[in-house]
Amino acid sequence: MPATYKCARCKHKVEIDVNVRCPYCGNRILFKERGAGIKDLKAR
Amino acid sequence: MIPVRCFTCGKVISTAWDEFKHRRESGEDPAKILDDLGLRRYCCRRMLLTHKEIVDDLNPYQ
Amino acid sequence: MEIIFGRLDNNNARFTLTETRTAFANAFRRAMISEVPTLAIDQVRIYDNTSVLFDEMLAHRLGLIPLRTDLTTYVPAGECSCGGAGCTHCTATYTLSVEGPRMVFSRDLIPQDPTTAPCHDEIPIIKLSENQKVVLEARATVNTGKEHAKWQPTIACGYKNYPEITFSENCDGCGMCVEECPRGILTVKEGKAQVVAEKQEECLLCRLCEEACMAGGIGSEPSIRIKGDETRKIFVVEGDESLPVQEIIERALMHLRQKSEDLHTIVSQLSGVT
Repeated sequence: MPATYKCARCKHKVEIDVNVRCPYCGNRILFKERGAGIKDLKAR
Repeated sequence: MIPVRCFTCGKVISTAWDEFKHRRESGEDPAKILDDLGLRRYCCRRMLLTHKEIVDDLNPYQ
Repeated sequence: MEIIFGRLDNNNARFTLTETRTAFANAFRRAMISEVPTLAIDQVRIYDNTSVLFDEMLAHRLGLIPLRTDLTTYVPAGECSCGGAGCTHCTATYTLSVEGPRMVFSRDLIPQDPTTAPCHDEIPIIKLSENQKVVLEARATVNTGKEHAKWQPTIACGYKNYPEITFSENCDGCGMCVEECPRGILTVKEGKAQVVAEKQEECLLCRLCEEACMAGGIGSEPSIRIKGDETRKIFVVEGDESLPVQEIIERALMHLRQKSEDLHTIVSQLSGVT
């Protein structure tokens, strides 16, 4: 499953990530979105 | 975010932050505010005196 | 040995321990800090966190929140009948679900058992802006300060030797010691320096007054002398509100008694004396 990213400039969701480039605005800075998983942590 | 407790002694100091901030902005003497808030030890006092809030600066980058 | 209370309320105690020794006083202090158990959040299950704080930082902040602890209902996980698996006798659960924009406070942490609510309602946890969200579940366990400082029931907890201040005949009432004392416990009356009434216990034993004393020349003895009485200790105990200070003191003393009894049993077994 391809990881989902978010464009730093136009905030669009970017699905496929072959070229690191936003298909909507051409920006090359993408943020990785938070996964749907549950995270267990120790509060220390 | 203001730390929950004083790093040194562990007293909960974050509850005092809001009042401290508002009163300092209105030009009161920080020493007097800290005395009023019951922060006697210098470890707790420095927690508020030297704190810089940056959550609002970080928000655009989320 | 006797405890004379100067002050005792829910969160603060100041008392003098008489006919004691430094070794016992220190054991007592350490027992209050690290052997009296309290509740603190230890496990956090994060379902969603789109705030500016990392999950780990958020969990750490939650861990530091003092929780009201009733040690008659909650026992440390290691001593619980469930064997540490986590049941209602050793674990308190909380849920937190907040959507921005607003500040998340400790009162947003909803306890399953209302007796274990956070001691303060107004602790800011994280500031959320538009479209940010925090959904999590937290589990608090009973443990001691030995494991982690978040389980310490005390904040400032310490002792000092009882100050004894003596003045010799040579005092000429110059007032240098009065000026030097950071606690302002000295005064000059009728040409002689003396301690202000009721303020003797506030002496820090810093001995600045001895250095400042001008009664003699260089190299001679100062006319004011500060001595700490090692058989009397002034204790100051400040709690974090998870337990009343009186309970902290009582439980620490019970712990010390238990430890010495255990030692006694082991030593008698070893030496064959029953």
